[in-house]
Amino acid sequence: MMLGGGTLIERLNILWIVVYLAGGLLGLRLVQLQIIQRVEYQQLAERNRTQIIYQTAPRGRIYDRKGVPLASNKPAFSLIYLPSKGQKDSDLEFLAQKLARELKRDPEELLASLQQAAHEESAIRLAENLPPQAMFRLSELKTIYPGVDLVVEARRYYPFGRFASHLLGYMGKMDAKSWRNLKTKGYRVDSRIGKIGLESTFESELRGRDGGLRMEVDAQGRLRRVLERMPWSAGSNIHLTLDAAVQKAADDGLRASSSNKGAVVAIDPRSGAILALAAAPSFDPNAFLSSDPAEAKVAVAEIDEFNRAISGAYPPGSTFKIVVGAAGLNEGRFTTQDSVFCPGYLEYGRDIFLCWDHKGHKRMTWFPGLTNSCDVYFYRMGLKTGGALIEKYARMFGFGAETKVALRGERRGNLFGPQGRAKSGRSWYDGDTINQSIGQGEMLVTPMQMAMFAAAMGNRGTLWRPHYIDRIVYTEGRAEYKQQPERLGQVALKPEVWQDLQEAMRLVISSGTGYSARIPGLEMAGKTGTAQNSSGPDHAWFIAFAAKPGEPSAAAVAVLVENGGHGSSAAAPIARAVIMAAYGMSDKKPEKPAAPAGADVNSALLRMGRGATPGVSPGVR
Amino acid sequence: MPFRAESGTRSRVDWSFVAAVAGLALLGSLALLSAASPLPHYTQVIQRQLTAILVGGMFFAIGVGFNYQVFQDQSKFIYAIILALLVAVLFVGTLSRGQRSWFHAGFFSFQPSELARIGLILALSNFLDRQARKARDLSTVLYALAIAGPVIALILKQPDLSSTVSFFPIIICMLFCAGVEVWHLLALFGYGTVIMATPVFYTMLQVRYPMAAHNSLPYLLLEVSRMGVGTVVALLLIVASGLAAWRVSMWMRWQIKPALFVGLAAILCAGLVTGNLVNKQIKGYQRNRLVAFLAPQSDIQGASYNVHQAQIAIGSGGFWGKGLFAGTQSQLGFLPERHTDFIFAVVGEEMGFVGATLILGLYLVMIWRIVIAGRCARDRFGFLVCCGIAAMLSFSLIVNLGMCLGLMPVMGIPLPLISYGGSSLVITLGALGIVGNIYARRYSLL
Repeated sequence: MMLGGGTLIERLNILWIVVYLAGGLLGLRLVQLQIIQRVEYQQLAERNRTQIIYQTAPRGRIYDRKGVPLASNKPAFSLIYLPSKGQKDSDLEFLAQKLARELKRDPEELLASLQQAAHEESAIRLAENLPPQAMFRLSELKTIYPGVDLVVEARRYYPFGRFASHLLGYMGKMDAKSWRNLKTKGYRVDSRIGKIGLESTFESELRGRDGGLRMEVDAQGRLRRVLERMPWSAGSNIHLTLDAAVQKAADDGLRASSSNKGAVVAIDPRSGAILALAAAPSFDPNAFLSSDPAEAKVAVAEIDEFNRAISGAYPPGSTFKIVVGAAGLNEGRFTTQDSVFCPGYLEYGRDIFLCWDHKGHKRMTWFPGLTNSCDVYFYRMGLKTGGALIEKYARMFGFGAETKVALRGERRGNLFGPQGRAKSGRSWYDGDTINQSIGQGEMLVTPMQMAMFAAAMGNRGTLWRPHYIDRIVYTEGRAEYKQQPERLGQVALKPEVWQDLQEAMRLVISSGTGYSARIPGLEMAGKTGTAQNSSGPDHAWFIAFAAKPGEPSAAAVAVLVENGGHGSSAAAPIARAVIMAAYGMSDKKPEKPAAPAGADVNSALLRMGRGATPGVSPGVR
Repeated sequence: MPFRAESGTRSRVDWSFVAAVAGLALLGSLALLSAASPLPHYTQVIQRQLTAILVGGMFFAIGVGFNYQVFQDQSKFIYAIILALLVAVLFVGTLSRGQRSWFHAGFFSFQPSELARIGLILALSNFLDRQARKARDLSTVLYALAIAGPVIALILKQPDLSSTVSFFPIIICMLFCAGVEVWHLLALFGYGTVIMATPVFYTMLQVRYPMAAHNSLPYLLLEVSRMGVGTVVALLLIVASGLAAWRVSMWMRWQIKPALFVGLAAILCAGLVTGNLVNKQIKGYQRNRLVAFLAPQSDIQGASYNVHQAQIAIGSGGFWGKGLFAGTQSQLGFLPERHTDFIFAVVGEEMGFVGATLILGLYLVMIWRIVIAGRCARDRFGFLVCCGIAAMLSFSLIVNLGMCLGLMPVMGIPLPLISYGGSSLVITLGALGIVGNIYARRYSLL
């Protein structure tokens, strides 16, 4: 060797040792990565290659009694954006431009919604109802921009749109409180929950279990294959007692009314099953799920969640005269033959109480009295019967108490009478009895109570608990739930009294104020009402029940048109359409109603000095 | 020296060396077969690799049988050829990614800087062999740098920074093994380190203190990089502190040569100035790589993405690996540059700890056998050639694996024999053939 005594080889050895040590270090690092931290990196690799797309399960369908779907589902793709903390504005601008190109939308508008989401730190849907071919193109964005996500959803769809809206409810975003309660129950932050009505009451039944796709994707976010399908399971289907045709007649009738405010409740007097429950102003529940965020926002801003059918309390007006008749006739305080002369007013003490027909009805007995809704006749009969008895019978018919329908926000109304007055420590005057006899004063009822009352008139006294569920068909585990009619009470009147009451109500239709509701081929009975109130024009009432000749009554209805004017003109035609729908009859134009013009405006109370009742103070007419 | 190989009865061919090389080429081809499978030009890649293996094997065989001393005789000619190639590539090379470092001619393409590395090793070995008596002179180091200078400058002109960087450890190791004065080498090493450290330091300051206020220390330090008053002040400070240290050592009677202080100050100053120049030349993507290494969590999706994905690939491979063609990181494209710079990550993912340590082990065996060949070489030239080749392969191994394992910044240095690259494979096998011949001729004339 000519290497100078081995020193050079020693130098080479030093280098070799260094390389050796470095190699050992690399080996140790391999041990660390591949053996010690193996699981952690395997998870990272797994997260890299898989994407889970959640799919909101279809909610249970809601059917009417004939199997017509009232609420179903439609598939939809949604692009959502979940803002992260400390997002830079420049990132958002870039994202907005990129997305605008993909979605063919205005970048400024997108940027605004992205910034809004970042500002509010809440998830937004950038687009809904995207076609499937856009999905894979857009899922690329997800790999580049954390926060952009695509979801497949079964979107709630209401085939009839603006239909039974307060009964069905709508799907809305969760507020912070619901999110706290629900996040442990399989809800995601962008899940929608049922708001008001059925969707809310039966949220746990209707909601399905969400599914998803675990997909293998490549670095560009393109789908390679589906690794696993986590099937969703749909929610339980609910069959209602509702009849779509009846409901439609009710909704259409209210919408066509002059004020577009009011409520219609139709009940089967044989069981208490609700055939229709309409409240106006209504809303289109599809609007909340619109692909256009602006439209959904408008819907949320404009929705009137107030369900007038159960939460609205109104003076019953002349419809209450039936209760007066029931009390007086059943207790023998007057007979159908007792006659009263109506000069157009009643002078009582220092007060003068007007009849709605200022010309006067001349001589009146029970049948013409109710048929013409003569106020003076009922002033007299009310005084004969007495406030306490009227109050007792009103309570028997369910007024002043909840009907126990399974909906949130039901109100009791107010029972007006000496007993209620005594509770507040005030005295009851005859003037109050006079007001009470024509359904004014402090008496307040809900349309639901009125429908129950109409049904009780139709079935001779049975008070069924109003219900809208026919059966619930569970998807898994549980047997079908079948709703049974539930009897809340029975009003026991003498048979001849029932006869007199029902006959009088039939006469109202055939020759009285309810003539406009007449339906050939049906035995129909009803009563109009025009309730004075402090908030504006009179509320129009109409209650009715109908039966085929020789059969028990199968439909009872209560119609209220808020500030609608006369019951005969505003409410009776709606009731007519509803009853016809309930009997499956075609809607021919009714013959020209020959009802007495003006129908029955309730008494105007002329105050002359003291003695008048406090509370509702009807205007002078 | 009692090496077994010198006992005279053993084979002239180092079979463990050949086995290691063959094993690496085989494993590399397997990894490539899998890593390149998602590529659109997969068949072309496989054809090229097969051709390269055949041609390279031929070169290896020829190299083993060809008297290496011819390279010493013709080293000037070889040096001239590589200079000519490097000049030519600047004019007729193909421009790709802003670099003009490849010749393309139909099916055949190659990177002259690969050849230049081997050529420079041969040329330097020849020079250092002839300088053996004056090895300890400073002139040896300077002459060696003068020989390497034009080659490095031409490659820097391409500009191929990572290839350039790979020359320095080779030169330093060869000088070290040639027996030059350690102080000279340290000075050279120090100079190089300062050059490398300067941009790293500036980048670190920028990352750490992105909003440095005026007159704050980071701001003033960054002011030094702007080649203005700040730089002059910094240079004066270095000189002054060198002077002060010398005065202190005089006063304390430490008996230290003044040359040390002069040398230190000179190295620092020269290094700082050169480092500043390099700092200005650094391109955006190179800066990003530095940032990615210094602060890997700063942007996972950005420059550190590659390294992060490589680590995920290797780590998720576990002990036995996911199997060939079954690595999700590589097959689904999460791993970038998977058939070139990051092929080791594919090995780690698909062949697991077993495959990765096998590659590392075979590499270490191969380098060890090169070192053995050097130790028993019949002449100084052969010894130095082995040193150079061992240094070249060691550097590639450490830097490439270090990069894949997240221990080093991304430098874009492939792993010879494993990474895809036909010309690289052929040239590496040829160089290893020379090593084989040096071993074969260790004690006798053929």
